[in-house]
Amino acid sequence: MDQIKEIFVRKDLCMGCHSCELACAVAHSASKNIYEAMGEHPMPKSRVYVETVSASVPVPILCRHCEDAPCMHACIAGAIHRTADQAVVTDADKCIGCWTCVMVCPYGVIGRHLEARKAYRCDRCQDRDQPACVSACPTKALVYQTVTDFSKDLRRKAAEELSRGEGR
Amino acid sequence: MAANQTYVIIGASAAGLSAACAIVKTEPEAKVTVLSEETDSPYFRPMIPFIISGEKSPADVAMTGQGPYQAKGIDLRLNTRVVSLDTHSNQVKTKSGDTVLFDRLLIASGSSPYIPRDIEGTGIKGVYALRTLAQARDAAQRSSSARHAILLGGGLLNLKAAFALLEKKVAVTLVVYSPEILSQLMEPDDAVMIRQALEHAGLKIMTGRSAKTIVQGPNGVKAVILDNGVDIPCDMVFIGKGVRPCVDFLKSSDMEIDQGVVVDPYTRTSRENIFAAGDVAVTFDPVTGNRVVTGLWTNAAEMGLCAGKNMAGDPTAYAGTFGVMNATQVAGLPFVSMGQVHPGSGDYEVHRNVSGNAYRKLVFSKEGKHLVGLVMVGDITHAGLYRYIMREQRDIRRVKEKIIGQTLTSAHLMYG
Amino acid sequence: MADARVPRKKSLDPAVNQMLAKAKKENIQTIWDRYETMLPQCGFGDTGLCCRHCLQGPCRIDPFGEGPREGICGASADVMVARGLDRAIAAGTAAHSGHAKHLAHTLLKMATGKTKDYRIKDEAKLKSVSTRMGIPVDGRSIADIAKDLAMAALADFHEKETPVMWAATVVPQKRVDVLLKHGLVPKGIDHEISEIMHRTLYGVDADAVNLLLAGLRCGVADLAGCYMGTDLADILFGTPTPVKSEANLGTLKKDWVNIALHGHNPVLSDILVSVAAQKQDMAKAKGAAGFNLVGICCTGNEIMMRHGIPSCTHSVSQETAILTGAVDLMVVDYQCIMPSVATVAQCMGTQVLTTMDLCKITGTDHMEFSEEEAGKKAEEILAMAALNYAKRKGKPVEIPDVKTPVVAGFSVEAIVAALSKLNAVDPLKPLVDNLKAGNIRGVCLYAGCNNVKVPQDENFVIMAKKMLKENVLILATGCGAGALMRHGLMDPANVDALCGDGIKAVLTAIGEANGLGGPLPPVLHMGSCVDNSRAVALAVAVANYLGVDTDALPVVASAAEAVSEKAVSIGTYAVAAGLPTHVGVMLPVMGSPLVVEVLTKTVRDVTGGYFIVDLDPESAADKLLAAIDERRKGLGL
Ligand SMILES: Cc1cc2nc3c(=O)[nH]c(=O)nc-3n(C[C@H](O)[C@H](O)[C@H](O)COP(=O)(O)OP(=O)(O)OC[C@H]3O[C@@H](n4cnc5c(N)ncnc54)[C@H](O)[C@@H]3O)c2cc1C
Ligand code: SF4
Ligand code: SF4
Repeated sequence: MDQIKEIFVRKDLCMGCHSCELACAVAHSASKNIYEAMGEHPMPKSRVYVETVSASVPVPILCRHCEDAPCMHACIAGAIHRTADQAVVTDADKCIGCWTCVMVCPYGVIGRHLEARKAYRCDRCQDRDQPACVSACPTKALVYQTVTDFSKDLRRKAAEELSRGEGR
Repeated sequence: MAANQTYVIIGASAAGLSAACAIVKTEPEAKVTVLSEETDSPYFRPMIPFIISGEKSPADVAMTGQGPYQAKGIDLRLNTRVVSLDTHSNQVKTKSGDTVLFDRLLIASGSSPYIPRDIEGTGIKGVYALRTLAQARDAAQRSSSARHAILLGGGLLNLKAAFALLEKKVAVTLVVYSPEILSQLMEPDDAVMIRQALEHAGLKIMTGRSAKTIVQGPNGVKAVILDNGVDIPCDMVFIGKGVRPCVDFLKSSDMEIDQGVVVDPYTRTSRENIFAAGDVAVTFDPVTGNRVVTGLWTNAAEMGLCAGKNMAGDPTAYAGTFGVMNATQVAGLPFVSMGQVHPGSGDYEVHRNVSGNAYRKLVFSKEGKHLVGLVMVGDITHAGLYRYIMREQRDIRRVKEKIIGQTLTSAHLMYG
Repeated sequence: MADARVPRKKSLDPAVNQMLAKAKKENIQTIWDRYETMLPQCGFGDTGLCCRHCLQGPCRIDPFGEGPREGICGASADVMVARGLDRAIAAGTAAHSGHAKHLAHTLLKMATGKTKDYRIKDEAKLKSVSTRMGIPVDGRSIADIAKDLAMAALADFHEKETPVMWAATVVPQKRVDVLLKHGLVPKGIDHEISEIMHRTLYGVDADAVNLLLAGLRCGVADLAGCYMGTDLADILFGTPTPVKSEANLGTLKKDWVNIALHGHNPVLSDILVSVAAQKQDMAKAKGAAGFNLVGICCTGNEIMMRHGIPSCTHSVSQETAILTGAVDLMVVDYQCIMPSVATVAQCMGTQVLTTMDLCKITGTDHMEFSEEEAGKKAEEILAMAALNYAKRKGKPVEIPDVKTPVVAGFSVEAIVAALSKLNAVDPLKPLVDNLKAGNIRGVCLYAGCNNVKVPQDENFVIMAKKMLKENVLILATGCGAGALMRHGLMDPANVDALCGDGIKAVLTAIGEANGLGGPLPPVLHMGSCVDNSRAVALAVAVANYLGVDTDALPVVASAAEAVSEKAVSIGTYAVAAGLPTHVGVMLPVMGSPLVVEVLTKTVRDVTGGYFIVDLDPESAADKLLAAIDERRKGLGL
């Protein structure tokens, strides 16, 4: 089976511009267009959150699509399931807005749409080739790769740094 | 481990089905039999208030094929009540007299409502201790022509039932013996906002009162007489006074029972091949280490998952659960309550914060190093993070200000 | 899922597409590649919800209500958007009036004998403009009048006793009254620009409507800058009259010394054109057939209008001129010169020469131009180009075989002169009569740039074609004119195919009366972007003739593919003049419902004009037609 692609965060590259958040909200709007999305009801919401470690260190946080996802097991309505490509997704039609998932997600990445009374979170953009946040990130702090490719890239980068250090 | 073990599970709900799915996932060839005394196919029990209100149909709340309950090939036997367990011959006997042999057994029989003996007339038609889909269907029908319901007990279950009834235009009076509603989940001061919201939504709440007698009329219940002698007409009564583990059928076995079935951190009972999970099991509080029996879907599903893995030979320790761990939204107010929520005047460091439409109470250990309990009303942002740091018993001194101010994010925990 | 903003095609122009194929083959990046790399663009900037006006910033407001709802200073989305828009208007105004100021200085230097290379080409216009400015002309020397006019022009930049004269004297009295009533008469052009900078500073104006009113006033100052630019350029270089020329990359010639003149101001380009005409030998000495000057952007419009110099390309496709490999020297002054020309030129071995201190580009050569030594500098530039040709000679070039005939040069004076052939006593009468009779349903001005977000020329061409069929008289300036000329809309031969019967009859009658043996072109080229003033002048003339204000006229404007902040300021003065004004790309204002409401609706109560933002050319044209009809109805037509 092909390895599944995931969204990885390269924290050091995040500039804190929040572009991913906007792109995410637009990707989850009815119109898929920022100008119209702003006026939609229910208001489209971002599922990625640019949080800060400290004032100068931003970091995007989003659903990990955990193995044995606590949210999925906790949901009292059966509204959360895992798709064939391993994304853990919330079915808004089934969600009753009891927020049990919010209470158990250890990453705090499930949003509560108060107007619609629905929980929402990253679905890795099921209808796109590449998640909108990844496309939107101007510095490529978010990447969409398989675990293997991502760790390969990390190793390559480490090796480059090492050899640069030795050359000095 | 020998392949093709025979697994038998008593109870087809959160714990039982989670375990069954975990077993099938770990050992696809396994033979899994699930015995349920109910005649309905498994359903999401916490959803039954929506059956009363009519917002959902029984098909909407079915478990099979929904959420994590996707496993195929499970032998589910409905209308099959287990009456006894023989741990020596590894078999259970059903009400119809059949015996079912097992290599490994999971007891996931859940719990059933506690009915106080000092109330007279609890057996009258129209009196409910809501637990099953069958009862909910019946209550749905009765509520269509009912005008007034009296709900005994101020817990979450009754609040959910109350809103279902309001939805059906049935007036509701909550009779609560404690000084305040939700006394299991919070202290009276914590409940102020919720109480206001409930009353605003049209609930009538009487605290410090209890029912003495339920009075029968030609069409079942017709009134409730309170401890002060007041007689209130009504056509439905709901008893929400907590639950007790379903262990009666184990009486004749040698299982260790302490309220519920006692298990070790690997969900195993005193018998090597017998496990228990969910409402029926006695588990432990990760902070205090004390034994607890819970009535929580979240706990049942998670513990069942663990049990399934352990049974299928993938040793998985259960992290334990707080006796209190609830999230919900009533009358437009979301709230979360978990862990040590009744610090009283005990040895704890407690922070309370009221602002606008939000209230929170954070309970830290005496030395201020661990978060041990919280109540959040109105704004439950990042509640899961708090559960995580409580359960893992993280030393939180570095991020304490953020915890108190509710500005903590997982960024602080992961990278801080 | 495809991103909605990646255009389906890059350009409607086959010449441009041919060059883009070449760029792709040779791995040279163009604006379209850079645009794709930029996608998706930042939504905060896109909606105007990003502010860097103070050092506590940057701030951004979350349009989805989850994040910040106001800036660190407390600025609301409305304030943030209005401030940003104001600064764009101020920047556009600074550019147009900077161009005009440069001409005023040139005129002054000429009048005081500091330069011998310029002279007054249109004395009549010098006198008429001076008279309008209250400068006595009778019995005075040309130099004296010119000096006074130059001083009057420079005086219009700062705050003084009188309002900005190039605004107050160029619109009907009724319009002056409207502007006065709402405090929209500028006190000085530079004053308005700097006041915008002041009020949009940290902690000053925080009332979106007040900010927008100041933006409108600055827009009126922009009209003054443009109008002054046109007046002074006409005086110094001649008022355009109809002239035949050609457009597109096919106007480059392999065996000639090709010099592309790019930018805006005729101060340099006009001199180069006349010196080149005299110095063809310099080119021939290097084995070339001669100098072939071509224009890009508004420089191209200026020298096409006055000298019939062909236009090579415009705006978004400026890099493609260099991609031919046939340009020996690109000479630029300022505005709309993409810094990327330096890189593309390096790839193609082309030399780019900057000439103005305020516009240097790393990776290009610079030769500071001065009016005092204009002729000499022009000769040096020609020599440089000839030398480059000698090096290029024999090397392969790829010049798309694409060019279109153009008839340009329609200044207001030229239009009136042409009309006077129909009615010498009352030249505007035939125009107004046709308007009344419905042969001319209305007038639409196409202005502005080509924006990479739109397939090049698509909005202009679709809209203009649709409106011509509906008998709208079409005027064009700037790169909008460039777009329409490339697609044959300024070729009289296409009148039959393109125009509705009414407008066809009008264009034919005027053409025949002027001995052209055929109609005027379908679209009348009025000049560069400062020359939007000519369109205003024409509208004012018609309004005065009818005795109405400009906001009563069935006249509309469209910047269908706008890019520059200059387009924003032009749009603003079009609205200030009372015109329904279409913009075919998103302005960064969507983050404020209030600002959108004011720009598209409420402002109508103030000036009679309003913005129409519509990205779809078909429906935009429909809206403009509806606006025209509404105004016809208002006039009882
Ligand atoms: C109305 C309502 C709302 C609730 N809301 C929430 C909520 O919001 N959040 C939350 O965490 N929890 C909630 N709960 C509690 C939650 O439903 C239970 O904690 C959960 O169902 C426990 O799951 P379980 O698998 O352990 O047992 P159960 O769901 O009790 O299932 C046990 C099953 O075993 C069967 N059984 C018992 N004995 C035998 C036997 N001898 N032979 C065969 N079958 C047997 C029973 O009939 C039952 O079907 C709610 C409960 C109710 C009734
Ligand atoms: S929402 Fe939270 S718990 Fe659920 S899969 Fe995502 S990260 Fe895990
Ligand atoms: S909020 Fe929705 S998705 Fe989350 S647990 Fe409740 S029903 Fe399930």
